[in-house]
Amino acid sequence: MSMIKRLLALDGVNVVCHFRDDGYLLEGYGLMSHDNMARLARFAHDYRRMTQGNADQLAMFTGMRGWTPPRGWIVRGATQSICGVGNLVCIMDSIGAPLNEILLELHEISHW
Amino acid sequence: MATLDELMQLPGAMAAFEFRGSGELLDHRIAYPDRINPATLDLVAHMCSANMSIATMQARGWEQVTAMKGFYPIQEFTLIGFDWSVVVSGLGRERHKQEGKFSLPPFLGVVMSNESADYEAAFAILEH
Amino acid sequence: MSTITYLLAQPGVVAVGEYAYRGDRFSYRGALSEEHARMASIMCRATTMGANMEGQMLEAFHPHNGLNPPRGWMVHGPDYTVCVIANVFCLLDNTKASINDIVRFMLQALAGIKADLI
Repeated sequence: MSMIKRLLALDGVNVVCHFRDDGYLLEGYGLMSHDNMARLARFAHDYRRMTQGNADQLAMFTGMRGWTPPRGWIVRGATQSICGVGNLVCIMDSIGAPLNEILLELHEISHW
Repeated sequence: MATLDELMQLPGAMAAFEFRGSGELLDHRIAYPDRINPATLDLVAHMCSANMSIATMQARGWEQVTAMKGFYPIQEFTLIGFDWSVVVSGLGRERHKQEGKFSLPPFLGVVMSNESADYEAAFAILEH
Repeated sequence: MSTITYLLAQPGVVAVGEYAYRGDRFSYRGALSEEHARMASIMCRATTMGANMEGQMLEAFHPHNGLNPPRGWMVHGPDYTVCVIANVFCLLDNTKASINDIVRFMLQALAGIKADLI
């Protein structure tokens, strides 16, 4: 079984995708069409770079360590949330999903 | 403060719009409804709101680190697109803030075609 | 005359620089310290990347709009303006520079630069 597929076993996780360094979708699982998964992968790739760019600037201006490199990002909506770590992105329920556990799993799998 | 109708007088003006600091479109004028619509303007307004925030973060950081003043407060952010440009300003808000007012006016923006865009004129209207 | 040499000779141009879309390489000329030019390159790269992402998202919702792909952006402060087209940034003194002339020249001179690497 694919390593990322096991994330879907966690409560509240609806979609999980793995993308290449250029944002190309490598594999994706869950309740979403392949086209939309490709869009999600592209968005997560761009969003990761943008977050990294902003964190780099914050570190540059404040001289503080600890911001960079950012480990990931979460955008929390009313019912759905998106979370990105490394080259992985997942969509989960905003309420009821074990966010901490999902983040730990994403972090672990992103290192494989 | 500039009005939407004044902004529509700019060369190549395609649309003028007002939006909240959080990006929501409040009011607009559109010259070519077949090329640009309110839904697009709403997205553009959210995008410009994000860019104004990032530019403000950059200006504040830059001025603190370099001691080179003259960027903050950001008067306008301009995105020069492939065929169109969009210029947005929050200067009216800054003036209200400096006067200690709590209720702030909206941001203003104008979309212009690149061919005839006059950026200096857009800045002048947005700053008067 | 190169684009950068030409820009630097224009009234009100304080500094001109060029940054790589990826990685941290940059070069510059004008009245900026090396460290400040490095910082400016980091900021310009981040904003260009953000603008490009926003352009793509806008394109997904409204195909064939005139904003995507972005050619550049400007930040206009009370005394200075930063003008970025492709991977070239230009720091301008508002009292002396003609922003319209600089933007027109940069759009024309840098039109051939591929944005694939952003």
